[in-house]
Order: sequence, then C-alpha cells, then structure tokens
Amino acid sequence: MFKHLFKLMWNKRKHNFLFLSEILVSFMVIFAISSFLIYYFQNYSKERGLDYEKVWSVSYDESYKTKNSDSLTMYYENLKNVIKALPEVEEVSFSSNNIPYANSISTTSITFKGKSFDGINQYLVGEGYKKVWNMNLEEGRWFTKEDEVAKDRPIVINETLKRDLFGDQSAVGKSTADYEGNKKLKIIGVVQDFKANGDFQPSGRAMFWKVDTAAFRWLNSLLIKVGPKADAAFESRLYKLISNTMKNSSIEITHVSELRISKNEATVMPMIIFSIIAGFLILNVALGLFGVLWYNINKRKGEIGLRRAIGASGSSVSLQLVAESFVLASMSLIVGVFFALQFPLLGVYNVPSAVYLTAILLSVGFIYVLVILCALYPGKQAAAILPAVALHEE
Amino acid sequence: MFKNYFKIAIAVLKRRKFFTFISLFGISFTLTVLMVATAFVNKVVSSDYPDLKRDRCLYVNRVEMRNTKEGWYNQSSPSYYLAEHYISTLKVPQKISISSFSRRTNAYVNDKKIFIEYQFTNADYWTVGDFIFLEGKPYTQQQISNAERVAVISESTKKAYFGDVPVAVGKYIEADNVSYRVIGVVKGVSKTMQVYYADLYLPYTVSKTDYKRKSLMGDYKVILLAGTKADVSRMKQEFNAMIAKVPIDNKQYDKMYIHADGAFEDLCRRMVGDGLNSGVFKLVSLVGLVVFLFLLLPTINLVNINITRIMERSSEIGVRKAFGASSRTLVYQFIVENLILTFIGGGIGLIFSILVIYQINALELIPNLDLRLNVSVLLYSLLACLFFGLLSGVYPAWRMSRLNVVRALKS
Amino acid sequence: MIRLQNIEKVYRTDTVETLAVNGISLDIAQGEFLSIMGPSGCGKSTLLNIMGLLDEPSKGSVRIDNQDISHFSDRKLASFRNQKLGFIFQSYHLINDLQVVDNVELPLLYRNSTAKERRRLAEAALEKVGLSNRLKHFPTQLSGGQRQRVAIARAIVGSPQIILADEPTGNLDSVMGNEIMDILINLNQREGTTIVMVTHDENMAHKTHRLVRLFDGSQVQ
Repeated sequence: MFKHLFKLMWNKRKHNFLFLSEILVSFMVIFAISSFLIYYFQNYSKERGLDYEKVWSVSYDESYKTKNSDSLTMYYENLKNVIKALPEVEEVSFSSNNIPYANSISTTSITFKGKSFDGINQYLVGEGYKKVWNMNLEEGRWFTKEDEVAKDRPIVINETLKRDLFGDQSAVGKSTADYEGNKKLKIIGVVQDFKANGDFQPSGRAMFWKVDTAAFRWLNSLLIKVGPKADAAFESRLYKLISNTMKNSSIEITHVSELRISKNEATVMPMIIFSIIAGFLILNVALGLFGVLWYNINKRKGEIGLRRAIGASGSSVSLQLVAESFVLASMSLIVGVFFALQFPLLGVYNVPSAVYLTAILLSVGFIYVLVILCALYPGKQAAAILPAVALHEE
Repeated sequence: MFKNYFKIAIAVLKRRKFFTFISLFGISFTLTVLMVATAFVNKVVSSDYPDLKRDRCLYVNRVEMRNTKEGWYNQSSPSYYLAEHYISTLKVPQKISISSFSRRTNAYVNDKKIFIEYQFTNADYWTVGDFIFLEGKPYTQQQISNAERVAVISESTKKAYFGDVPVAVGKYIEADNVSYRVIGVVKGVSKTMQVYYADLYLPYTVSKTDYKRKSLMGDYKVILLAGTKADVSRMKQEFNAMIAKVPIDNKQYDKMYIHADGAFEDLCRRMVGDGLNSGVFKLVSLVGLVVFLFLLLPTINLVNINITRIMERSSEIGVRKAFGASSRTLVYQFIVENLILTFIGGGIGLIFSILVIYQINALELIPNLDLRLNVSVLLYSLLACLFFGLLSGVYPAWRMSRLNVVRALKS
Repeated sequence: MIRLQNIEKVYRTDTVETLAVNGISLDIAQGEFLSIMGPSGCGKSTLLNIMGLLDEPSKGSVRIDNQDISHFSDRKLASFRNQKLGFIFQSYHLINDLQVVDNVELPLLYRNSTAKERRRLAEAALEKVGLSNRLKHFPTQLSGGQRQRVAIARAIVGSPQIILADEPTGNLDSVMGNEIMDILINLNQREGTTIVMVTHDENMAHKTHRLVRLFDGSQVQ
C-alpha cells in the first residue's frame, strides 16, 4: 500500500509541485508562529514568583566619593535608613542595576563538580531584597548581616539552578565554586523561580550575592517597596530627599510596574504584528487553495459525472476529492515535519523540546483542517453534479 | 498592442471574479506590508528633521578596544575628552557637534511625574542640526562658557510641564532637582532619530558628572560637518589619520577602533556591525532575506492561481499561436497582464498603506514618529510592484508559452 | 502550394507508440479546395495540424509556398502562420472575453498595422460573412452558425493564401452547415484562396474539387 501511494505521489510530483510547496511553506510559517505562541504561553502560565506592585526603583550615578570604605558604607547605610524611616516606605534594598523587568542583564557561570554551568543571572542584593519583591523561599534562609563575615561567600540560588545542579536533592549547606573554580560559594537558600524578563519569558538560572562594602563603589540602584499611602506627592518629596542627599548625582525614580508593562510589550508587540501578517498570509493561501481545488474539480466534471453514472454516491465522490487533498497535504507535511523535527533534535535556541513537538502537532492539525476545509465546499459541489448534465457538457 | 492586452486583462479579471479577488487580496496585502515597511525604513535611513545635512556629515558613536591575543573587547562611546582633545583639532570639518547620549530623569509638576530625556550639547550642535525653533533660540558659546543654567526644551515637554501656555521662554523648568531657565522651544524630534531625540537640551558645562575626565570612553557622540559634499572623504581621511595617533589609554588592549561613518554606515554599524566591519553588507542581506521569506508565500500562491488561470485560457492561447503569436509575444502578453493586475493591487495596497500609516501615526507608538508616503517611498513601492509582478508572472508565462497548441485546441 | 512528402507522425507515451500518420505524400495546388475524410482517429486532424505548422512531423518534409519550413524558429513559424495561413476549428475557439470585432482583429495584432487599419479590415471581413451588425456582441451572445462565421472572418481577415478548416460544420445542423460551406466555396472561387477542409460529411466533401480519404494513417484514395 505504501509503495503504491508513494508511486502515485512520485508520478504526480511535477504537476502538484506548486501546490505542495505552498502547503510546505505555510506549514513552516504556522510552525514558527505556534512555537513562539506555545513557548510564551507555557512561560505565562507559570507563577510570577515576585510582586512588582508598589516597588519603585531609584537609579543614581557617581555620587559619594571617598577612598575610605568604612565611611562609604556608612554613607549608604545612612541613606537607606533615612528612606526606610519614612512612614510610606515598607522596605528598602540596594541592588545591582539588573533589577527584574529592567533592560539590563548580568550573567556569570559557576563550576560544580568540574562542570561549568553558564548563563546564570547574577543579582547583587541587599538584605531587604527578598521582602521588597515578596519572593518565596523554598528552602534554607535569606541573607543576614552575619553573612558579610562568613568564610565562604554565601549565595542564594533559584529553583531552576538548584534542579540543574542537584536534581531533587536539597541544596542548602552544599558548596560550589565560582567561574574560575577557585572561590568556594556556600548555598544558604533556594528561592522560587521568578520571571525577571517579563511574564512571557522563562525565569532561567539565577543566583544572588549579598552586597559587600566594595560593591558600594559601583552600585547604582536602590529598590523601595512602598505602602498604600505612597502617592505622587510622596514620590516628589522622596525625590527631593534623595537629590539633596546625593548632591552630585542624577536621579531617576521608576515604577517597576511600568518597566513590566514595557518589558511585556517588547514580547507581545512583535508577536501581534507577526501573527497579523501570518494570519493574512494564511488567509491568502487558504483562498488560493480553495480557488485551485475548485477549478480542478470543475475541470473534472466529466470524470465525476461518469463516476456518478456508474453508481458512485454523491458523498463518496466528495469524500474522494477531500481524501485526495488530504494525501497531497500529507506529502508536504512529511517534508515539513522532517525539517521541523530538526529543531527539537538539535535543541535550537534552548527551547524545551516539548514546545517544538506541540507546535509540530498543532501545525500539522492546522494544515489538515485548512486543506480539508478548502476542499470541502468544492467536494460538496462535485457531489451535487448531475451525471447526465456533466456528461452532456463533455 | 498594449491596449489589446489591457482589454483582455480586464476581461479576464471580470470573468473569474473569485480568482480576481484572491489575486488582488494577496497582492494588495503583500504590497501594503512592503509599503509600510518601506515608509519606516525610509524614515530611519533618509535625511529627516533635524538631521538634514546628512550627506555632509560623519558620525562618531563608538569606541572599541580589543585585546587581539585574548579576544577580549570592550565597546563604549567616545568621551567628551576624546571629542574635545583630539577630534576638535581636525581642520577639515566646518563644525563639530558634541553631545551626550540621552539620559533619563524625572520632573514633578503639580504632583505629576514626567519622564525627561536630556542631552548635554555644545554650541555647534545647534548649527549642525537644523532645528526648528518655535520660540526663543539656542544657547551661545558664551552661555556655555559661563555654565549658565539655561535649557532648550521640546514642544511636548513644554506642553507636559507648563500646560497650554503661549510662551515658555523665560520660565524655569526643574529637572533632576536643578532649575533651568528655558531659552528656546524646538519642534519635536522623532524617536527614531537617536542622535537628536531628547526632551531637554542643556549646555555640557552644567553636567553634574565630570565631563573633563581623561578617558577615551565616555557617553558622548560627535558629528563632523564638512563644508561641501566633496570634503567628506577628505574629512574621513583626516579623521582616520588623527585616530591612528591617539594612544590607547588602557593597557589591557592593543587595538582601538573609532570610526567616522556616513549616516547609513553608522546605522548598520550600530545595529549589526563592530569595529572591524561596518555591517552594511550584513544588514542589507539580512533585510533582503526577510523580504524574500515574506514574499515567498504570496508569490507561490499567485503563481499557482496564475497557472490555473492559464489552463483555463488554453483555447485562447492555442488560437493566438495558430494565428501567428510567437512564444515570446505570449510571454510578453502574460507578463503585461500580470503587471496590470499587480498595479491594480498596488493601487489598492496604497490606499490600505495610507490607512495603516495614518493609524500608526495616530497611535503614537513611537514618540514624534511621523510616517509619510513621500515620493521616494512611492518610487520604491512602484519598484516593489514591478518586482512582485515579474516574480509571480514569469514562471506562469513561460508555462503558457510552452503550452501544446494541438492539445489546447482539441478541447 | 502545399507539398507533403512521406509524412510520418508518431505519438509516444511512456508505454505506447501510436502511428498517427504513416507515409503520406500530398500536393495541393494554388486555388484548390481539398477535403479530407476518414473515420475518427485516422490521422486527418494530425495531418491538418502538420500543414498548419502547429505540429511537427516525425519524418518527411513540409513545403509551403515553395519554402521548406523544417528549420524555422518559433518566431519565424509564428510569422509564417500569421502571413500565409488561416484556421477554422470545429468548436470555433473564439475568445469569449473579447467582442466579435476584437476577435476578428486578433491575427492583425501580430503584424505591424495600425488600430484604424485593423478595424477597417475586421469590419470588411465581417461584412463578407454577413455579420456587420454584430460587431459589438460577445461570442456567447451568438448562435453556433454565427460563431463559426466570426471564426471564418477571423481566418480571412489577414488575407491568407491558405485556409485550414477542421470540421467547420461539425457542430452545426445542415442548414447552418450549408451556409458556412457556401461562404467557403465563395471564398475559394472569388479570392482564389486555397482551402483544406477536414470533414465527416460526405455531402460537404462532394462540393469540393478533390477528396482525399484516409484510413489508419494512410491515404486510401
């Protein structure tokens, strides 16, 4: 049977070449779009892992200049305490400027059991950071003041990194090494995954360091969690307060919720544009297929009339025509799926294989539905052909 | 002859209305997307307010240092020191504009927050860029030397900060906790014009950061303006000769790349290039690839429909051949017919493009972006129509001319 | 006028070889009205197509107006057909999208002639077939006999020396068939046009100067 079908396809390949390539390209377009959509949807349905509401970020540049690290620490601790003392403020923390939803990224790698794990987002944070974002601790503990004097530098990691390093085992108390494999890092806690790149992007690997005195020389972000009473008037006062403290610095206060919106837009907007374009392309193709099938069936009126005359029922005629389109679509899809399967097999773009496989299934289904829908109406028309009329016309 | 083609093309279009609809739908949609994209690219690539002297300008945007042994590299923008101490010594440029990259801060008016992007500039900035002053004038060299706290603001900042006042000049704007006296208001610059886009323009001497720091890397950008178009290449040579003598101020690196690029080259380098390669070829081929992929599906679809149409007209083709049309004449006929169809589709596409562009402008997705269908966009669209028409017409036309006359006449 | 020598035509498909015309030689004089008869599939249409330069013989030579056309290029063949030959088909083959007068003008499009000249000649040709009042009609608005008369007008508009007619009366009843036949006879007598006609109809065939009968690709009379 397979040999017979293959022969049939092979003999007709030239005649149907354009039809086949059109379905093939359509499949690739649908596959690309649905891969993205499934990937984003999968990420979107995961928990956010942090609270962005009422979090403000303050960025400043080159401010307090001194060679003395004690007075530098004092200066910043003092600033933090002054802000924290305000009644509208709930929590304050220093942070490297790659705060969640911002456009800044900082990654590093660690060495564990001789193997390097890279692409880890590293966050340099203060003690209040976890409370500012209302992050959930899965195991262990968050940083405390004592961590500054610990022998091995303590780190907190996220779930994904924990799973990559230890699988299902507990991570707390275990050690790993930094990117050069020299310095020992001690894991003191694991936080739930949080989507720092917007709701549609995966959390990825992440780890936290605690801010130390040296870091104050180049840190330039401060995160503030404010209470319900914090309004624009308060923001204006806060701005004045910080500006007057850091006289030589340029200050910008941003609401993290706004950063989140623009970060999400950066994902959603291109998707909307591409989806609209792809939608039109597919509509275009659907109309084209419909027209060509319709024409082909009209051209075969005589043959169809003959089939009816020798006793084929109307529904069996239309079924045959739909089945023909189905076979044609299958030929293209075999080639298309072969190419599409290379994506999960080669692990392109680090997207989970499940995403690609679902996308392939979805696209195959979509193309079949499309082709069958396009063939259904002409098929029905063919079924309505009266044998006598068709044969007479011939 | 042409009139006859036209007649038959219109007749064919009228006969199979459904096919005509499919063809026109595909063509007009495809060309709409191309036209809107062209309008956008044209906006970014061509001279536009206030960057009107592009053909006489060279842009210096990046400083790249490399350690060729280890493969490290570090890329940033020129510092004020580099601009002042080295670039300003050039003889050929008529004017040298120096300005910082935009930075952001807040201003608060009546408990409302405004985001402000501001740039520090020198005096030449205002002569190199052709700004339209709605009110007042730019700050002078004297005012810059005195480090006066004066500011030029954009139209939209005036509205956001002062509301509907007739005159903003003379009023004070407080940004970054410093009060500046407004001395000019300029027409808003499109956000796509990265070199000139800002809400607030200030003399570089009032910058809080230490602009005199002796380092080559900083966050400034430089525009060199030549007296005539002919001087541009001489200016580039002089620039390169000067840069070759600048000592690298970081021992980690052994090579330094600083380019003075023309506008297009600069755009390519910023998007896909680096110090070694301007990226022009890369960007152009990338755009070409995207356009090709986008055109693939509509083209196959149209070819498919065209072939179906030809098969339908096999009797006509047979007759034409019998009465003396050569294959070549038939190919011409079909291509002309297809071009007519494409141009009708292009006309519809043009109407759609105008609507879409109107919508994009109305939505203000990008501040001050004012897309236009100007002459060059229309010219490119015409080219796109031609290209698309040929692309989708040639293969069917070839098939048409190869049609067996005897069989075509048998039916 | 037309000289066929040892014409053979073989149609090949993947599996079968069919000999459609088998060694036919034929001389047709200027001003002659010749009819070809024979049962279906005897090769008469193939022979006519070969004379009309629409098909190439597998073997043998074709000379028209004393010119050997076997080495002609596509363009030369096309212009030759245009200048010397006129065709009439059983199923008319009019272009339904064009008005009657535009249909008749068609052969002139492939010559250097002005629009005015084309219109004048087309009107004259339609006058000859008695259809001057149907200029602006579309073919679908005409009866079968009228359509065939339009086809004749199209065949004669370029004043060809030879007209090749493939069962011109095949789709028509005898009254209309006779009308068409009269027009052809008239054309042959008054203008001296050489006419070769394939037909199934003995009556029509007997009105011509000479009758050639084919059977299974060979000439039998």
